[in-house]
Amino acid sequence: MRGTAAGLVTAGALALTGCAAASEADAGAVATAFEDPRGDPQDRCDLLAPATRAALEADGAAPCADVLGDVQLPGGDVTAVEVWGGDAQVRLGGDVVFLTETGTGWRVTAAACEPRGELPYDCEVDGP
Amino acid sequence: MSSVDEPTYGFLRSNALSLTFGGLFLATLAGQALSGTADVNAQQHTNGLEPLGVLDYVTSSSFWVDVMENWQSEYLQFFVYVFATVWLVQKGSSESKEPGKEGTETDREQRVGEHAGPDSPGWAQAGGWRTALLSRSLGLVMGGLFLLTWTASAVTGWVAFNGEQLGQRQDPVTLAGYLGEADFWNRSFQNWQSEMLAVGSMTIFAVYLRQRGSPESKPVGVAHADTGRTG
Repeated sequence: MRGTAAGLVTAGALALTGCAAASEADAGAVATAFEDPRGDPQDRCDLLAPATRAALEADGAAPCADVLGDVQLPGGDVTAVEVWGGDAQVRLGGDVVFLTETGTGWRVTAAACEPRGELPYDCEVDGP
Repeated sequence: MSSVDEPTYGFLRSNALSLTFGGLFLATLAGQALSGTADVNAQQHTNGLEPLGVLDYVTSSSFWVDVMENWQSEYLQFFVYVFATVWLVQKGSSESKEPGKEGTETDREQRVGEHAGPDSPGWAQAGGWRTALLSRSLGLVMGGLFLLTWTASAVTGWVAFNGEQLGQRQDPVTLAGYLGEADFWNRSFQNWQSEMLAVGSMTIFAVYLRQRGSPESKPVGVAHADTGRTG
């Protein structure tokens, strides 16, 4: 009986760990794909959260795919991923990207972010 | 064992108080889940994010930190009150014992060891660690539940705090870092102060006010100065 309980706890812990690892990998993949300059601009725009995409188009007064080309996105390899609830932060070689989990997967809420010490990051691409 | 004037009740009437509060607890927890989902979704809408389902919300750290921060303060209240009333009295309050009876009292008064009756719990008669443990079990369980729920409050608060940090484009913090954050202590103190107020109010109100028929009150005609009697 004790063995069964221990097995269930282990299986549960492994499932949670596996879940978290998969979530981190997914968030990292979305952040990398969004910042990849070789990617199709339309596909990259589809990786933005709706509110962030709307803000980007409003700021640039043009469709997302056109505005995206003018934004400096340093990109790079994933160096760290933090997932907390439905939010994630992905550190790339040259940037920090923030994401939110949606019904269709992780979507970028902010990118091209510069740290400002204790203050929030200053992000060139950001939502409301 | 029943007293001579105790009527024979079925299960429901015998346990009406526990069952009623158990039901009220579940109903109000459901109310918190539904109103909390609506509240979070109003914020999600403002931020241009997708709404959450009730199941998503009740499995989130945001829901559990709100639940745990309230539970921990309730258990703290009872833990402190159970121990404080051993040593401190309030003259005239039905929530207090008589002045002069401060302390853990004698074995005869507590009906333990050789003074235990045939209807006493087995561990009251057993002596040694079992009697010692039973003699402190109420406070220990309340204190243990406080520590457990306060820890859960810290962990769920940490997860929720880091989610908010990311939403505000800020770095997440470690658990140790969260324990030094104002968010954690504000959540704790705002609940603790309300519990201390409630207990303190009840202690002093019970001196001068009455609720006829309630064991939380003295009988209506008992003097204000009369301590430790309930009606």
